[in-house]
Amino acid sequence: MDEELLELQRQFEFAQQAKSSIRLSERNVVELVQKLKELHIIDFDLLHTISGKEYITPEQLRQEIAAEINKLGRVSVIDLTDITGVDLYHVEKQAQLVVSNDPGLMLVQGEIISQSYWDNVAEDINDRLQECNQIAVAELAAQLNVGSELITSMLDSRLGTLVKGRLESGQLYTPAYVARVSAMVRGASRGITVPTNLSALWGTLQQLLQEMNGVSGVAVESTFFQSLFNGLLKEGELLGSLRAGVHWTPTVFAAAQKECIDSFFSQNSHIIYSALQKLGISQPVQFLQSRYPDGIPLTTVFVHPSMIDMLDEAVEDAVERGSWIDSLSLLPTSFTPQDASKILLQCSSVQSAQKGNQGLLLVDSYLFSSGFVKDIYDRLEKEMVAFNLSGSSILTSSEESHLVKETRGRTNRTIELTETGNEKKKKGKAAAMKASESLPDDEYIPTKSKKNQKKGKDLLSVVVSDSKAGTRKDLANMQENLNVPTEEWITQKIMDLVPDFEEQGMDNPEAIIRPLANNMRPKLINFLKERRKAVFTENAENMKRLLDNLQKKLDESFLNMQLYEKALDFFDDDQSTSAVLHRHLLRTTAAPIADTLFYNLDMHNKLRNGIDAEESHSGPATFNPAERTAVAKTFPGSLSKKALSVIEALEGKHVEAFMTALREMAEESGLLLKKLDKKLERTLLHSYRKDLTTQVSVETDPVALLPKVVSLLYLQIHNKALQAPGRAISIAVSRLKDKLEDSAYKILTDYQSATVTLLSLLSAATGDEEDCTSDRISTKREMLENLMPALKGLVLSTSQS
Amino acid sequence: MEGWDTSTKSTLTQIPLLSAKAGPRDGASWTQRLKEEYKSLIAYTQMNKSNDNDWFHISAANPEGTRWTGKCWYVHNLLKYEFDLQFDIPVTYPSTAPELELPQLDGKTQKMYRGGKICLTVHFKPLWAKNCPRFGIAHALCLGLAPWLAAEVPILVDSGMIKHKDDSSSSAES
Repeated sequence: MDEELLELQRQFEFAQQAKSSIRLSERNVVELVQKLKELHIIDFDLLHTISGKEYITPEQLRQEIAAEINKLGRVSVIDLTDITGVDLYHVEKQAQLVVSNDPGLMLVQGEIISQSYWDNVAEDINDRLQECNQIAVAELAAQLNVGSELITSMLDSRLGTLVKGRLESGQLYTPAYVARVSAMVRGASRGITVPTNLSALWGTLQQLLQEMNGVSGVAVESTFFQSLFNGLLKEGELLGSLRAGVHWTPTVFAAAQKECIDSFFSQNSHIIYSALQKLGISQPVQFLQSRYPDGIPLTTVFVHPSMIDMLDEAVEDAVERGSWIDSLSLLPTSFTPQDASKILLQCSSVQSAQKGNQGLLLVDSYLFSSGFVKDIYDRLEKEMVAFNLSGSSILTSSEESHLVKETRGRTNRTIELTETGNEKKKKGKAAAMKASESLPDDEYIPTKSKKNQKKGKDLLSVVVSDSKAGTRKDLANMQENLNVPTEEWITQKIMDLVPDFEEQGMDNPEAIIRPLANNMRPKLINFLKERRKAVFTENAENMKRLLDNLQKKLDESFLNMQLYEKALDFFDDDQSTSAVLHRHLLRTTAAPIADTLFYNLDMHNKLRNGIDAEESHSGPATFNPAERTAVAKTFPGSLSKKALSVIEALEGKHVEAFMTALREMAEESGLLLKKLDKKLERTLLHSYRKDLTTQVSVETDPVALLPKVVSLLYLQIHNKALQAPGRAISIAVSRLKDKLEDSAYKILTDYQSATVTLLSLLSAATGDEEDCTSDRISTKREMLENLMPALKGLVLSTSQS
Repeated sequence: MEGWDTSTKSTLTQIPLLSAKAGPRDGASWTQRLKEEYKSLIAYTQMNKSNDNDWFHISAANPEGTRWTGKCWYVHNLLKYEFDLQFDIPVTYPSTAPELELPQLDGKTQKMYRGGKICLTVHFKPLWAKNCPRFGIAHALCLGLAPWLAAEVPILVDSGMIKHKDDSSSSAES
């Protein structure tokens, strides 16, 4: 038998003989433990594990917890429950006990952390810090998974011992690093010579640091720079002032600024605000006032009192000499007109001059002594008088209208130009200049091109526009003030009177002369008005007299006219004769009436307008139709219309039309035309008859006698005053046939036929003198002359009867 | 390996497997096989002892090791019931499993062939065949006899077919 087999047999036997180990079931054990507890053999709290298969005493649990803490220095309570297998409730309880018993432990957010752990961490941090120069606490907190406050408090106690560095606003830095950055800050701050916003500076420094550190470099907070900067400032390593925490003004800059201003101001005794603004002073007025309390702030410039003294003297001089001065020419070029005006007001001499009415301040910078102004004004006044006397009202008005027309035309042209001028700017500019010169009287203002103009020109254009507006108003008032001097006129006159404006080499004498003219114009107009008033009162007398005369003359002739008109009624049935008679009456009687009226009304008109219309005593002139029309047109408004209708009627063939027209016109001009009443008619007829009788009795010319005799006969028979032309005589005579005795009629017809033959002979004899006709004429004449007494007797006898 | 309870299965997997495929007639290779059987049995026994689950005691009845005899027991209601155990190694071993016999229980239960050979579950044969030659005597005991005892003894005791020796002795005495 195999040895090995035997051995195995034996071993098997031995294994089977061995005593089997004894096992208690869990249930038995649990029962046993309960029994023990019941018997108070176990008199302490016995815990059991989560699995329920183990019992554990609190001490053991505490031991295990302590062991776990010792292992890592930091352990989560939740992890402890897993490790010990005991319920969280018990673990927490025991953990609190453990922590309270050991001052080196702390329970933070469900974690137990020992001081030794913090020491380790601090050492780690220190290592890293020495390596990287700076670490963010937030980063550490994130890494360690604890609050940054906890880390900060932990680091605070270890700074300088375990952690060699500096904690600055959530960042840890090594002293070396801090020193380096502070050196950078110092260098950068010292390098700044102009006021700078520090945050911008920190930005560049940050960039610089990042470049130095490469990619690994952590961004340095600008607050760190700021705190370093503040430290340096406190230590006096940096000189300057800090405003609002970020605006850094280095002392060197402030010093340079002051020095610059000082030197300029002391040299020039003035300084422009814009220059200060260039130097970085935002509120130049306050700055200068605090620095130079005796200086005077103007609109754009700050001046030393010595400047005023200088100006003062010049002004005084000008006032005394009775001259004028342009303060701008005395002041430095940087002065604007506003400044000039302000500084002028500061001058004592100007103030006194203005108070004493010795000076006149115009266009901000010009000062005229009152003597100078008065001189010009006097001369202008004289010019005005001359101008007024020379220019008749018709002339002036036509001139004005012409001028206006011209202006209009130019304006239209310029508007067209500006419209197309957008493409051609140069042209547009030129057009704008033109426009400014001849400013449009409508509202159109080419604003775009106006911008291009210089200030001076602008000023000019404004002035011009004012003046133009003035002329426009004047045009509107033309009915009242026929010839108020325009501004252009005054300006021109002043230019002529005072040539030194131009001599002084001013680019733009108009700019000053115009305001001067504006200043004088009201006075001149006043003067003119007064003068006109004077003339007017003077003329009033004349006018009254004139009107009275007119009325008288008109009454007389108009009554006659009416008288004659009545006589025409006789011939109403005979068309041709009537027409002839009408026309004759209009020519002979109506025309003088109309002329008298026109002439006198014209005179009256002139007088009323204050024109020195010297009365011509040459008597009423006679006008031809064209002249009449011209005069009629000068009449104001409706009167002119009426006058024209009168003229028209005069040209016509109807006396009635003329009469009504004349009446209307007379009414319009405030004259009364008497109507013929019976009584008046009789007396008139009577006087007329007397008149005619005497005329007939003294008449020697046989030809002239006939119409008079006929008229007288009509008067005697029909009691009508007939004015008949030669052609109508025969008809007039024939009409008398049945009214006269046959003998008388025969005498009349004989005389009439004889006269006709004589006249025909006379008209035929004009050719050659050595003709037999002259003999026949003379014989006829003799015959007529012979007949004359018979004729005279015919009339005179009846008149006597 | 369905058909057995989990403790049986876990125990089975811990019994060392055999490697030599040899029957009682194969001479030296049978000896080799026999050695492996012993090793496996030793391991199984030790395992049972350490688990306080010792339940049999056997030994080879002849030097060839083809016949084994011994005892097996089962504790029911805190009483230990002990039975004789014997079996032969068949000639076709290890392709055929040994037929375990409990001669004392012959005729007392239906789960038994004539001569006291226990009836094994339907799962036993295929599993054995599948694991030939790795399964040995220890496996046969573990898979076959242990479940059989656990299943049959309580029924036999309750039905009064078998009586504890103390009872029987006391009843005999009384």
